[in-house]
Amino acid sequence: MRKPRRRLLWLPVILVTLSLMAAACGGDEVEEEASAVSGEVSISGSSTVEPISIRVAELFEDVAPDVSVTVDGPGTGDGFKLFCEGATDISDASRQIKDAEKEDCFEAGITDIVELKVAVDGIALMTNASNDAVECLSFHQLFDLIGPNGEGTSTWAEASAGLPDAPLDIFGPGEESGTFDSFVEIVLEDQAEEAGVEATTRTDYSPSGDDNVILQGIQSSGTSLGWVGFAFAVNASGVKLLEVDGGNGCVEPTEAAIASNEYPVSRDLWIYVNADKAAANPAITAYLDFYVSDALTQAVNEVGYIPLTDAAHTETADRWHNRTLIS
Amino acid sequence: MISRLSDDRSRAAIAASIERRRVDTRGLLFRTLLQSCLLITLALLAVLLITVALDSTDQLGTRLWEFLQGTLRSRSEDERLGIHQGMYGSLWIAIIVAVLAFPIGIGAAVYLEEYAPRNRFTAFIEVNIRNLAGVPSVVYGLLGLALLLNGQIFGLDRLTGGSSALSGGITLAILVLPIVVITSGEAFRAVPIELREGAYGVGATRWEMIRTQVLPYAAPGILTGTLLSMARAVGEAAPLILVGAISGRLGDNPGLFDISALTDRFTALPIVITTWTVQSGRDVGFTAAAAAAIVVLLVFVLMMNSAAILLRNRFEKKRG
Repeated sequence: MRKPRRRLLWLPVILVTLSLMAAACGGDEVEEEASAVSGEVSISGSSTVEPISIRVAELFEDVAPDVSVTVDGPGTGDGFKLFCEGATDISDASRQIKDAEKEDCFEAGITDIVELKVAVDGIALMTNASNDAVECLSFHQLFDLIGPNGEGTSTWAEASAGLPDAPLDIFGPGEESGTFDSFVEIVLEDQAEEAGVEATTRTDYSPSGDDNVILQGIQSSGTSLGWVGFAFAVNASGVKLLEVDGGNGCVEPTEAAIASNEYPVSRDLWIYVNADKAAANPAITAYLDFYVSDALTQAVNEVGYIPLTDAAHTETADRWHNRTLIS
Repeated sequence: MISRLSDDRSRAAIAASIERRRVDTRGLLFRTLLQSCLLITLALLAVLLITVALDSTDQLGTRLWEFLQGTLRSRSEDERLGIHQGMYGSLWIAIIVAVLAFPIGIGAAVYLEEYAPRNRFTAFIEVNIRNLAGVPSVVYGLLGLALLLNGQIFGLDRLTGGSSALSGGITLAILVLPIVVITSGEAFRAVPIELREGAYGVGATRWEMIRTQVLPYAAPGILTGTLLSMARAVGEAAPLILVGAISGRLGDNPGLFDISALTDRFTALPIVITTWTVQSGRDVGFTAAAAAAIVVLLVFVLMMNSAAILLRNRFEKKRG
């Protein structure tokens, strides 16, 4: 008789534990709803935003294992083309949609589009930590130093008058890199158009697909210049991050200055959602509910971009939940 | 004998070789040169294989089964990282190439070699087929894009599901078709004339002669050529990029023999290898993953080649 009584004593403890666990699980509405959802989500667009959508999908997989999310990254323009043909549900974009692209979408009958800001991409300009001669560079100086007109110059002064007469050793990502594209689009493109030259960098710098190699290059030369993604540069030793003047004075690259777009070598990253498809397909809705939740901050940190400020994150979540459409 | 040779130098050489027993230094030198050529080839291959094998141990040595079952992931330390989606794509590309390119290619070769009259027109066709075999693979990718994805012709995109393993397989089947025609044609040309004449001599028709003599005799040669072309198809990446192979994230991970996924988005081993190699710049762990994917592709190709050799030996035994 002793054994059964003992078991009975444990019963209330087990019950309380179970109900507490149930309460804890029930607290997260997103997860409970999503776990039962199944279906397919198709994403294409910017290769810069691609890693964020992929990482969010990987985190979402633990919550909703039956939702299959496919992500491709042919580029923002190609992505919008597919999006406006109705071939994809979500389009990743490293810039806002152009009016012409919007017209194409509307003409094809895709009128309900939700635009969501998901992260900020910031690029750090760096030199060697021992280099005291340079603190701040303007867009104009950066174009002289790294743009196509800098081809063949071997000192800072030769490339851009007024800068120190010291050897110029440039290290940066190769053409295949998203950071290369970002830098060209943010800093060089407009000036290149004005100068009537191709929007690209000079060819005589040391490119590498490996961020660590770029850092080693910066550390190896006392008067080096280079650029990598901000999240990677901020933790590096032996390098100095330069301030940049985009026309409104020198701004130091900090996470806050990038998130607020105050630092000029930064840009917002977006996703565009076909709201009609989302309404018809619970998998898309569940994925986006998850996308705009706290998981976004985790994913953005993990892939090396700057997360949105709290206010911007709230706005993104509100835009999605209210299905705020672009017009 | 010696006096009959017109060339003085050869006469002198022969006289010298007969009269004096000396070491043939030039001959030895030439032989060593040839040996070192072979050695360089083998050494390069060995270095390649050993570095790849060593790099791959991080994945294949510790989590072989998980790696073979896993999917494309964004981080190399992910426990679900693996090659299964790439294996699915490459396996079905190989099957589609075998089903489409081999019968059509061998059929075309039989017609060209056995039936078609030898005139300027057939010579022109043959030259063109040889040129087609040398066309860069990207061009075939463009053909696949226009034909199977954009639906510019016959609306084939509805059949293939647009960007799919089926489209990739058909594109690569077109790519290897000229190679199959050429290698099979050469195998037919190697059939001794006596066999043909013997068959005609006992009253066989042309069809009977081809069926009972030419095809069995040429089978080993055809097999070697076709399977080499299949290995080429499985190793191609460029056309698949144009046909829309995925390098980012593929939602589904179908079983190897799940035919229903043939019209879905896809990836393949060479694409996975390229992607992971690029990603290793950002995440060093992908070096091991890329090396492991290379090993898987090598084993895959090796299995196909050994199947070809086994089959060839069987045919050769029959022939003998």
